Amino acid sequence: MMAARGSGRRGAGSGGARGPDPQEEPPPPLQAVLVADSFNRRFFPVSKDRPRVLLPLANVAMIDYTLEFLTATGVEETFVFCCWKSSEIKEHLHKSKWCRHTSPNKVRIVTSDLYRSLGDVLRDVDAKSLVRSDFLLVSGDVVSNINVSAALEEHRLRRKLDKNVSVMTMIFKESSPGHRARCQEDDIILAMDSTTNRVLHYQRTQELKRFRFPMSLFQSNIETVEVRHDLLDCHISICSPQVAELFTDNFDYQTRDDFVRGLLVNEEVLGNQIHMHVTAEEYGARVSNLLMYEAVCSDIIRRWVYPMTPEINFTDDETQSYTHSKHNIYRGAEVSLGHGSVLDENVLIGQGTVIGSNCSITNSVIGQNCKIGDEVILDGAFLWNGVHAADHVEIRQSIVCDEAEVKEKVKLNPHCVLTSQVVVGPNITLPEGTVISLHSPDEEEEDDDEFSDDSGVNKEENKVKLKGYNKAEVGSEGRGYLWKADDENEADEEEQRQSLWGPTLNPEEESETESDLSLGSEQPDSRTASPQLDDIKVFQNEVLGTLQRGEEENISCANLVLEINSLKYAYNIGLKEVMQVLSKVVMEFPLQQLDTELNPQHYCVMLIPLLKKWSPVFKNYIKRASDHLDALSAIEEFFLEHDGLHTSIAKASD
Amino acid sequence: MPGAAEKESELSERIEAFVARLKRGGERLSSEEAARQTVGLLRKIIGHGRWGSAGELMALIRKEGKRMTAAQPSETTVGNMVRRVLKIIREEYGRLHGRSEESDQQESLHKLLTSGGLSEDFNTPYPPLRANVIEAISELLIELEGTTDNIAMQALEHIHSNEVIMTIGYSRTVEAFLKEAARKRKFHVIVAECAPFCQGHEMAVRLSKEEIETTVMSDAAIFAVMSRVNKVIIGTKTILANGALIAVSGTHTLALAAKHHSTPLIVCAPMFKLSPQFPNEEDSFYKFVSPQEVLPFTEGEILSKINVHCPVFDYVPPELITLFISNIGGNAPSYIYRLMSELYHPDDHEL
Repeated sequence: MMAARGSGRRGAGSGGARGPDPQEEPPPPLQAVLVADSFNRRFFPVSKDRPRVLLPLANVAMIDYTLEFLTATGVEETFVFCCWKSSEIKEHLHKSKWCRHTSPNKVRIVTSDLYRSLGDVLRDVDAKSLVRSDFLLVSGDVVSNINVSAALEEHRLRRKLDKNVSVMTMIFKESSPGHRARCQEDDIILAMDSTTNRVLHYQRTQELKRFRFPMSLFQSNIETVEVRHDLLDCHISICSPQVAELFTDNFDYQTRDDFVRGLLVNEEVLGNQIHMHVTAEEYGARVSNLLMYEAVCSDIIRRWVYPMTPEINFTDDETQSYTHSKHNIYRGAEVSLGHGSVLDENVLIGQGTVIGSNCSITNSVIGQNCKIGDEVILDGAFLWNGVHAADHVEIRQSIVCDEAEVKEKVKLNPHCVLTSQVVVGPNITLPEGTVISLHSPDEEEEDDDEFSDDSGVNKEENKVKLKGYNKAEVGSEGRGYLWKADDENEADEEEQRQSLWGPTLNPEEESETESDLSLGSEQPDSRTASPQLDDIKVFQNEVLGTLQRGEEENISCANLVLEINSLKYAYNIGLKEVMQVLSKVVMEFPLQQLDTELNPQHYCVMLIPLLKKWSPVFKNYIKRASDHLDALSAIEEFFLEHDGLHTSIAKASD
Repeated sequence: MPGAAEKESELSERIEAFVARLKRGGERLSSEEAARQTVGLLRKIIGHGRWGSAGELMALIRKEGKRMTAAQPSETTVGNMVRRVLKIIREEYGRLHGRSEESDQQESLHKLLTSGGLSEDFNTPYPPLRANVIEAISELLIELEGTTDNIAMQALEHIHSNEVIMTIGYSRTVEAFLKEAARKRKFHVIVAECAPFCQGHEMAVRLSKEEIETTVMSDAAIFAVMSRVNKVIIGTKTILANGALIAVSGTHTLALAAKHHSTPLIVCAPMFKLSPQFPNEEDSFYKFVSPQEVLPFTEGEILSKINVHCPVFDYVPPELITLFISNIGGNAPSYIYRLMSELYHPDDHEL
């Protein structure tokens, strides 16, 4: 399914064949491939309603920033590849200035539901022979003001001199570690040859503290090898047409990372090289998770991406004209500010917004036509269009999407996300990291079967359909569901939590996990890979079976311990996990016996004798204080799940 | 006519390209270049645009002009040229309409009180209007080209031998001014480097190529050296209606130091930089660029805890300025309002 805009392709440009250009002819028009789909679900549930590239950064869609970057750097033809929600992207682009006939950059939209990764897109590019010469490869959520012509010149020169050995030039930005705009998930460390800027070794840091480099790197005859950790990946690459061919040849290349690694590994065989270009003064970043969203939004407001600042209104949209005042305050047209309200610094307010009296707003972005009540505190808040915030609301470090409503006296702790049209009721405080969405998490399981590796495993457990809204989560007038991870990830909760926001620079425990059921995603999930999940699941079942038999046949505790130990080795489970699983299984045991919902007393009555009987088993595994903690937290988790049994916690914790 | 439609689309393409170029501001368009391109574009609009009477033409120019000025408010020459063209249209219309130029002026107080609202409707179409206006605009273009030379010609009157002249940053006008004087006189120039863009370095290099003795120093040393300076000669980005300057960041410091030592401050600026706007807080003459120059991105963690600003322009109040040298001669700041009334019509002050 391809819907290309316009009947034919522009045949202009001098014979830019895939071979080296003769010196007399001018270089062919620069083309770009823009991938408007990230092929992962990092932004769910926010991107369930809107494709990621249309999410607003400072009230302008992300794809506009990318297209502006491409146009400013001289690209004359862009191919936008869409997959998820492509009709919305198309509509947006057709209405924007990029599709006017006066635009210097011709945008052609290609859609297909079959794309599953960057690799598929590039294979399609090769199959359709869309690019004639070197092209820029970017994803739709890149924000940058880099002028690529210098890097492009270097790239072309290299290819001419070296007969097409260099296949790709990646663009990086110099930025010291610890900078907020350095995405922890995307962090890389690489080794390069400083004289030729060739990439010799490329690795994702994945939060590791120690890295290994092959010795051959340093023993080769290259004299100036530099190992660099001060680079921020801009996700902008200058590719030669060979890149598309290489993707077609190697069907297992799904992402750019695969490509780079594959190329570096096969270097002697194929002779292809990758180079890089480092920019120190210009800005380039990709919005890959919500922390990056926050960082890039702040950078735009603080004018790091000049000239793509809000008051310049590069999209030529009449509703987006802002005036810039001291301390980076941007106000749209017809904004009304109540008496006593203070706009501290770094605030962007969209057109038509009404703000009540005595509010205090700082470091925030407010969309168009919002209505903010009195005595509201907004600090690091990102409110999209049409948000209503009633009086005495406090929003910190959170995102409130389109048309959502926040009623009186609500307090949103940092890292909350309210997706479109959600209502959060009065007088409630949402704990840190809450995600509320109108799509219930169950809905997600059903319609994304093909994305899930473990489809069908947990369907039965989530039988209870939440038809009503949980008052405790969203307040008495609230509308929305708490977005949670799947049950199968419970065992991994003690480990690195991949939350909606992504790992922070400070290792704080986030209280919300999101299941990362993605294919070809760019984040490494070494510890939550699917084979392990299966193992733990099976282990859990085995332990359950063992305990059941123990109960029926009255097996002594020593034998139970022996059995559990052997299971542990069989499934390669760590000691900590054994503890957790054990606690969980014991807690669930009474529930398994009866199918109906228990009331606390009944449950207690069943549980306590079990605990007494199996206390030697527990004692065997709880030897250190940390194990105690693990057990207690596992018990806590369990009780959080089954709210009705709160009262039995007290009794069970003896 | 297919030709007209094509021309119109080409015209709108050009306007878009110009607006986009203004917005991107990457290539550091010089004021003269911006003025020239604006006038060229306006001439094309007048030539190819569809309009019947002067009123329609003025509305068309105003619309396009508003768009161009909104693209980059700190580039005031664009707005100035639009206003000049509007004034030209009014004049040409007046001439064709049969009134003499004298009675059109609003200088007489009596006229102001009794006229009670101009009944000028600009609706009568005159066929020769198009050609006349285009001719007048071509004259304007020629005038634009000659401004730097006109200013440089006055150099010998102001610079004497063995003088120490101070300047700041890089100004093409001041460069031409000093080069012209250097042909006949020997003097010293001290250039303040004008951080963070440090354009003073480029100025010093160019001056020294002309065998002028040049010294570069940092902005912090301006006050210290001022006692040894005879004259301060600077360029500017914009001259406001009250005689104040919007000049490169650091000029206010220079002006205050000069005032303190009673050193004359001479501003060399062509007339197309004169803007009929007055300074007020809402106006967007100011341009804040990326903080990269002040505190580079590589600084890392600290950037999330602080706010960094990089303003490009400074406001210099008119009391600190001694003399304006423009292509029509030397004037005091208090006389600027008269020059303005000759160039622009009061109805055009707000586009």
